[in-house]
Amino acid sequence: MSRLIMFHGRECPHCRIMMPHVDRLEKETGVKIDRLEVWHNEKNADLMRSYRDVIEPKCGGQLRTPTFMNTETNDIICGEVEYETLKKWATK
Amino acid sequence: MCNDIHYGVKPPEVCPTCSVQKAYMEISSEEAQKTCDGTTSVMKKADFRQAIERFAEGNEFRVNPDQKRVETLLKGIFDNERNHGLKYCPCRLITKNFEEDLKLVCPCNFRIHETYKDKEDGECWCGLFVRRKNNE
Repeated sequence: MSRLIMFHGRECPHCRIMMPHVDRLEKETGVKIDRLEVWHNEKNADLMRSYRDVIEPKCGGQLRTPTFMNTETNDIICGEVEYETLKKWATK
Repeated sequence: MCNDIHYGVKPPEVCPTCSVQKAYMEISSEEAQKTCDGTTSVMKKADFRQAIERFAEGNEFRVNPDQKRVETLLKGIFDNERNHGLKYCPCRLITKNFEEDLKLVCPCNFRIHETYKDKEDGECWCGLFVRRKNNE
């Protein structure tokens, strides 16, 4: 079963900008996105690192935040995007 | 030649202080630590802010004029130094490979990144540094 994850950093401005989009998306579509903070939570950080081979090629060769990931399809979005782009990713 | 210590994964071809080419000698991290311990103190956020302003002076980039964003980023950078040892970018995660993670220490070499290079409105990934406009 697919799991939608948003890896984010507490002090990452891009992540802060994306949070209202995630709120809206969950409200409008009913999908659930797990928001996992990675700089202050080592367990979440290790989980993000475990997907390094999938994330890095799509994120400039780095583990950037925010990263949106579908764990089943490995669909990845990196950084700030428009709401519609996020919605398309989440409801694919 | 000038006894400056350069910290990084490899020595500079030309010393930025005395301009001598390839005049370096590698020392152990223990020796560097010993040398630095007597002369350094922990940098405060305001000092770092001044340091990045100086770093950007005369360059094609500047510190982001969005003060709120800069404050958020500086908090993240200093949290990372306290919790993870170095001033890592708060918008990228360390891999736990020390040499690789040095690339994430702020300020990073953002001029080679796709978010900055060849972009009129280029900025580093986190947005701490932005390309100057013509009149800035």
